[in-house]
Amino acid sequence: MKRTLLAGAAALYFFWTSGSAQAQYFGQPMESRPPDNIEGFTVSGKARVSAKPNLVEIDLEVSASSELTADAIVKYRDARKRIHDAFAALKLKNVEVEERGLLVDQKGMMQNPYMWGGQMNTRNKTEVQLTRKLVVKASNIRELSEEAVLQLVAKLLDVAQDAGARVGAQNNFNPYYYNPWQNMNTSLVRFVLDDFDKQLEDAYEKAIADAKTRAQRLARLSKVELGPVVAVREVAIPGERPAMAEDEVPRKRLEAGKFQDIPINVDLMVRFDIRRTPDQK
Amino acid sequence: MKRWVIAAWLLLASTAIAASAQDAPAKPKDEDKVSNDQPDRPLQMPPASTEVKEALDDFDRFKRRSAWERALKALYTIPEDQASKFIDGENGFIIPVASKRRQLLAALAPAAQTAYRLFYDAEAQRLFKEAAGPNELKSLERIYSAYFTTSVGDNAADRLGDFYFELGHFDRAANCWLSVLRECPDTDLSRGLLGVKAGLALYRAGRRTELEQIRSELADRYSDERVSLGGQTAAPAALLGQLIESEKATVDAEQPARIAGPANLKLDTEIDADWQFKFAASVEAGMNEAELVQWESNALSAVVPSVTIDGSTLFANYLGYIIAIDTKSGKMLWRSGSFHHLEAMGNQNFAGMMDTSRFTILAAGDQIWTLGRDLKDQNFFAPFQLVCRRATSGEVVWQSHDLSDYAQLDLCGPPILAAGKLFIPAKGQGNQQNQGMPQQLVLAIQPHDGKVLWKSEIGSFRQNQMYNRWGWGGNMMTEAQPRLIYRVGAIYIETHAGVLARLDADSGALDWGYAYQTDPVQGQGRFFWNGYMQMPETPATGSAPLESGETLVVKGMQSTKLFALDPNRMKVAWERPVARSSRLLGTIGTNLIMGGDEICGLDLPNKTLQWATRVPNGCLSGRVLVRPDGLWQLTSRGIVELDPKSGEVRRIFRGKDLGTVGGDLILTDTLLLAVSNRTITAYPRRPAGPQASRGEDSNAKRLSSITGENEGIE
Repeated sequence: MKRTLLAGAAALYFFWTSGSAQAQYFGQPMESRPPDNIEGFTVSGKARVSAKPNLVEIDLEVSASSELTADAIVKYRDARKRIHDAFAALKLKNVEVEERGLLVDQKGMMQNPYMWGGQMNTRNKTEVQLTRKLVVKASNIRELSEEAVLQLVAKLLDVAQDAGARVGAQNNFNPYYYNPWQNMNTSLVRFVLDDFDKQLEDAYEKAIADAKTRAQRLARLSKVELGPVVAVREVAIPGERPAMAEDEVPRKRLEAGKFQDIPINVDLMVRFDIRRTPDQK
Repeated sequence: MKRWVIAAWLLLASTAIAASAQDAPAKPKDEDKVSNDQPDRPLQMPPASTEVKEALDDFDRFKRRSAWERALKALYTIPEDQASKFIDGENGFIIPVASKRRQLLAALAPAAQTAYRLFYDAEAQRLFKEAAGPNELKSLERIYSAYFTTSVGDNAADRLGDFYFELGHFDRAANCWLSVLRECPDTDLSRGLLGVKAGLALYRAGRRTELEQIRSELADRYSDERVSLGGQTAAPAALLGQLIESEKATVDAEQPARIAGPANLKLDTEIDADWQFKFAASVEAGMNEAELVQWESNALSAVVPSVTIDGSTLFANYLGYIIAIDTKSGKMLWRSGSFHHLEAMGNQNFAGMMDTSRFTILAAGDQIWTLGRDLKDQNFFAPFQLVCRRATSGEVVWQSHDLSDYAQLDLCGPPILAAGKLFIPAKGQGNQQNQGMPQQLVLAIQPHDGKVLWKSEIGSFRQNQMYNRWGWGGNMMTEAQPRLIYRVGAIYIETHAGVLARLDADSGALDWGYAYQTDPVQGQGRFFWNGYMQMPETPATGSAPLESGETLVVKGMQSTKLFALDPNRMKVAWERPVARSSRLLGTIGTNLIMGGDEICGLDLPNKTLQWATRVPNGCLSGRVLVRPDGLWQLTSRGIVELDPKSGEVRRIFRGKDLGTVGGDLILTDTLLLAVSNRTITAYPRRPAGPQASRGEDSNAKRLSSITGENEGIE
């Protein structure tokens, strides 16, 4: 009887304490909204400036496969050399070919979203495949006219294709499986802005000014005096992507599929204090 | 208690068995060894019955015990109708039971030979006496196959050799005489004479290495003999030399003199086309935008017509529509129908169920032969038909559809014309009730009337490929594309389904097959519920075996093995793995040129890959010009010229064929013809240099670049 009572008490205590912990958890403010005990004015400040891209990039892929790895190496080596030679023959100072990581894989294999625990190889023999992504970069295009950019891009694409390279984002995906992420950024040519520090500075300045204007409006309508900034949070940081495993692309850059001014959007959350009058004190 | 003890013992015993099984060295599985009876192989040659295999096993068992009477008796239980069935031989070859039996008899120990003659000499002699008249050949073949080591075996082989030689079967004749020389040490026949005959047959069969061997043997061993043949008498080695020299003189006299001239094909400057035939524009005429999009997304729009040239006329088979063009003027001479009718097909997506590589054409003299099917026939399994037309007018002479010989046959590969016959691969449709697996067949046809002279079965498919051609989104489905070549009285068929086979061109008798490892060309991998996750890979077009010296270089469409076969000695000269997508383009000196994802140069003596060049869109299909002075391929970006030694791209001649998917290049005496999925363009051949002018008055100069024949065709 005693044992039953003890067990019951223990269960009750456990249930009670876990319930209080749950209440405590939900009582915490969610990160996406301002804290409940906020003081002052919290306003958003937005700004948008734009700049012409300074870089054009074209993705190429060089791959070779064979059952004999030695053959795959010869094919890969020759294909890579021909692409480098073809671009070197252009003798354009602002064009360079950047190499990304080398993938040693099995030909024709891919991740199967419908099959857990791997997939069967239905082929008698495995072919080793060597794949490397090359990125052709033409810099300093900001000063060029649209016609000149067009000519440059056409030349780069022609040279790449004549050299036998596969141009553009590779469609190494399963055509029967819908995955929206696979279809992103599949344009043939990428216009990049990666030297936008000055524009960024301007955008931040404008965003703070925008926030201040909004806060002043609120203060005026509330008949209080606006105090100093007590907190600032960046809501949207232009050109920064979260880091990913095997990330090969610089984290800070802005890209566009079209040759146009690329917008730099800054979105801030700014909290201003309320300057208290002597009466309020 | 007893039950517990028994259970414990059983447990102990099973554990011990399992442990011993684990400890036993694993039997190494030779994954390269292929057998005709392997159930996972796509094609099985006509297999010998189980009784035959049992008889051979019995022979082997009794032979080990030296029970010769029983061993030989076992061998002779093999029914005669099984003699032409196939069984695994050595080195991957699949040979007839008759050959296997002869090999076993020839390898008998002396004691066994004595026993053998005791039992079978009488029967062999009876057969030899009966070998006359209409049964002569059959009886001699029977003795050669079943009683070769009897006292009359050598005589029968000698007579059979003579018989074959007269029929033009030089390979077989040589084999008969060589077998007496090599396997009958006690023969009474003149070995010198046999050697001369064998040497002459080897010469005619193009077996040069063996010929040299025989020559040196004759010179070393039989120089004292005097033999007579063809009205000449001399020492064997000298006689053989004389006979070969006189043969050479006759051949040289019969061959037309070749026109001398620079062999270079230069495309280093932009040259205008002499003419261009725009057939795709004819199909698209009148299409609205939506229809045009639909047509362009249809696989039919990417089809490159099959083209052949005879004299000054170009004949093309464009999806069953036949056209003749005068190559001098580029003017159309006749056509079998308007291309515009293809527009209706653009709205149908069933083209994905059809292997359009089967549309082929062949021309010789005043006739042309085309393989095709009516595109309007929406029966996916409608067989392809062979049609013979007059070259001058396109009038139909005969068509397989009207002839009963072709009932239940689906003609499935490009025909070849050799030795006055038309040879074509075909698929049989199972048995009379249309049940069972289809067979791979080869037909010999009388070219002028379509009469089937013989029909030989190469084997049965283990999967019904016809049901595996379904595709999605208009993707063209491919299937095994059998290819034929003719070589000194023999037809070789590369089935691209794991078997290369040799047939006698006269009789259609199947000599042997060579089995190589391959994946099925069209499996079920395209269906997403059957493990489709391996990306469907576009296979390269099937190549015909390539002659390289005395060997045949072979690469199956879905095989990762490249091998060279000595078909006369039935040996694999060499083999090496290659990419599955590789195909054979040609040889230049000691370099083998291969297509596929890239164009590659393989050094044959070392079997090493020298270079690989990726041309735009790869080299999976299309006829590539392979010549010692360069390689040329028509791509979507123009005609790419490569250095055959290094693979360096010399130049890309843009020409007038941009906007196409690429296609075939054909070289004639005066023209370079580029055949794409939209146009046929004729560029003049001319010597290098900007000074090479065009126009009527420069015809003489342009003609100076004649090399005398169509070269380098795949």
